[in-house]
Amino acid sequence: MDFSRVELSDQDKAFYDEARSFLKTHVTEEVRRRDRETGDNFDEGLHLAFGEAGYLAAEWKPHSQGGFTRVRRRIWELEKRRAHVPWVTWGTTAMVARSLVKFGSPELQDEVMPGVFNGRVRMCLGYTEPEGGSDVATCKTRAVRDDDAWIINGSKMFTTGAHNCQYVFLITNTAADAPKHKSLTMFLVPLDSPGIEIQGIRTVDGDRTNIVYYSDVRVDDKYRLGEVNAGWTVLREPLNTEHGAIVAAPDGLQDNSIMMHQAGSMVEAVDRAAARVTQPDLGGRRLLADQSVAYRLGRSFARMEAALSAPNIFGRVAIAQTMRDISPDLMDILGAASALAFGTDGAADDGSAEYVYRFAPLVGIYGGTLEVFRNMIGQYMLGLGKPNYSPPLKKTS
Amino acid sequence: MDRFELRRLDYSLSDDHVDLQSAYKQFFKTHCSIETVRAAEPSGFDKNLWERLCAMGATTMALPESCGGDGATLVDLTLVAEEIGRSLAPVPWIDHVCAARLLARLGALGADTAGVANGEQLTALDARIDGAPGVRLIPSGSIADHIIVRDGDEVVRLTFGTRPAKVDNIGRLPMAWVDPATADTRAVVASGSDALANYQRALDEWRLLTAAALVGMVEETMTIAAEFAKTRYTLGVPISTLQAISHPLANMAITVQGGRNLARRAAWFLDNEPDERPELASSAFVFMAEEAAKAATMAVHIQGGLGVSAEAAATAYLVRARGWPLAGGDPGASATRIAEIVAARESALRDARV
Repeated sequence: MDFSRVELSDQDKAFYDEARSFLKTHVTEEVRRRDRETGDNFDEGLHLAFGEAGYLAAEWKPHSQGGFTRVRRRIWELEKRRAHVPWVTWGTTAMVARSLVKFGSPELQDEVMPGVFNGRVRMCLGYTEPEGGSDVATCKTRAVRDDDAWIINGSKMFTTGAHNCQYVFLITNTAADAPKHKSLTMFLVPLDSPGIEIQGIRTVDGDRTNIVYYSDVRVDDKYRLGEVNAGWTVLREPLNTEHGAIVAAPDGLQDNSIMMHQAGSMVEAVDRAAARVTQPDLGGRRLLADQSVAYRLGRSFARMEAALSAPNIFGRVAIAQTMRDISPDLMDILGAASALAFGTDGAADDGSAEYVYRFAPLVGIYGGTLEVFRNMIGQYMLGLGKPNYSPPLKKTS
Repeated sequence: MDRFELRRLDYSLSDDHVDLQSAYKQFFKTHCSIETVRAAEPSGFDKNLWERLCAMGATTMALPESCGGDGATLVDLTLVAEEIGRSLAPVPWIDHVCAARLLARLGALGADTAGVANGEQLTALDARIDGAPGVRLIPSGSIADHIIVRDGDEVVRLTFGTRPAKVDNIGRLPMAWVDPATADTRAVVASGSDALANYQRALDEWRLLTAAALVGMVEETMTIAAEFAKTRYTLGVPISTLQAISHPLANMAITVQGGRNLARRAAWFLDNEPDERPELASSAFVFMAEEAAKAATMAVHIQGGLGVSAEAAATAYLVRARGWPLAGGDPGASATRIAEIVAARESALRDARV
């Protein structure tokens, strides 16, 4: 057990200073403003600057292949969060790249990987379907063999970042009658292929995601990842990662659960509320003097720290649930001016708590709903058995 | 505070921790069955179990080596507390070690308190943060040889020729009404702001160890309820496969994992950097005090008509999940204390930035 400050060597201290100064130069107020306005959670100029400076390759590669050491990786991760670097599209790119090097042909890797490292190639996830939901294996998007190519038809929801990406990591159904885990084939589909239409959707937290339509999209067989109908094998590993199957690191140099970016917004709201309640109003009265304010703030703080402490899959549920549970109290104690959004004159906390309130519903469905994860805890951690559902409805039409 | 500071985030237990944890888990498994727990309910105390526990070194471990103890860390103590909660052990170990450690810090372990270190003499304390003066309920007041309370800016040690009478209570604790004015002896242990700060530290430790005990309590009552649910059928399926049952159980597991790690982190900071995160002990307590009652109620509910029986283990957990934290007064007072600490810290940071 160890929560101590990490002692840095002179070289690591130099890296720390360099990283902070790089982020300060490149993550400008303009970058942050644009990110809020577009909801993209991605900034091309910043991303290319990271690529050019070698940060993308260093972050993606293990130390044995020239990547960051553990301590530098952790410094870089924390400082990017401090600087509010947009994270979503690089996160999906890095994840898909791992599947690509494991399951893609050498030819395809040569085509794509250099661009991943210099920042020119970004990749997004084509998992969820409009009629699907959390079960990625219910896939209606079809891919049909046509000589050396495949013809794809269907549509995908929540393909976040598609409009800033060059490829989509697409789940397709290639065996309509097979059991669902033996019917899937994965492709890395170039997004400039004819027949792809990307339609933006804004979500209530202000982010932008997309629905992507695929109409007779022709994809060469070289873009296939893994064997035909063995898509589940390709998918399992990134899904495990996304689900939060994190193994604790003995050096303590990593998060103890996923969703720490999302949790960061809650932490910021709580800490801001704590600073706000000591400020006197014109009559000299401080909110903290009201014991009901102090009680609610203290309780919110306690619940947040418990959520931040919970490990792996427990942590991801705790974080999403706690964001939902405490954000209304944080808003209440700050009063009506907590209704004002970021950048508004007179906003109580610059919109921090109201943002958590709007963001929390999304955090509870990313990569699977809270119910999916409670099922997993029940089934795999507590041994309660596979959940029972009512029998499938017989379709009448 | 700087939430992006480069610190280690390592919750793992060392081999020594695991050995300690296993030893106490085994101890209570062997010596503290649910029948033992029930049998001690009239007095709230199992003297035989207490003597065995002391013989194992559970009280001396908590004191510094300079006072003849073994200098255990608070992290070590949370491991013991968790096993006490898991087994509902009818021994006032948390009260005793918090009070004894307080006396040790104040340099007040002397001839009069010679039996405190090894547990031959029991020490109790007033665990309230916001305690009003006068007559008050002391959680182990009916069995204690020494009762430590605050009086103004003094910390005093009281003794009674005839011990105050035990009052039945929901926590099944050896609780008693204690009137400091009627004590047979009253010794001022220390006074002034340093004495009060040390008393506050004892209250923080009490909250920390009570939180750890509640973690063990929730985990055990959850486990019992889960086992029941796996073997109880409705319409041909185990009720554990119904989400209305499995999801509340999953929530209990999340409570255990979050509460346990939070208590350990709080303990680590009190051990190593006591001024850095003084609010975490109260945070673990506020969280667990609220969740333990909810979890224990749900565990009873899952077992339905069998769960509500006075003989069911579930109801033994139900009453203690409420009674143990409540012995320190309104947990809301701890929430208020958290707010005061973090608001002072954040506003100081804000002022420093301006």
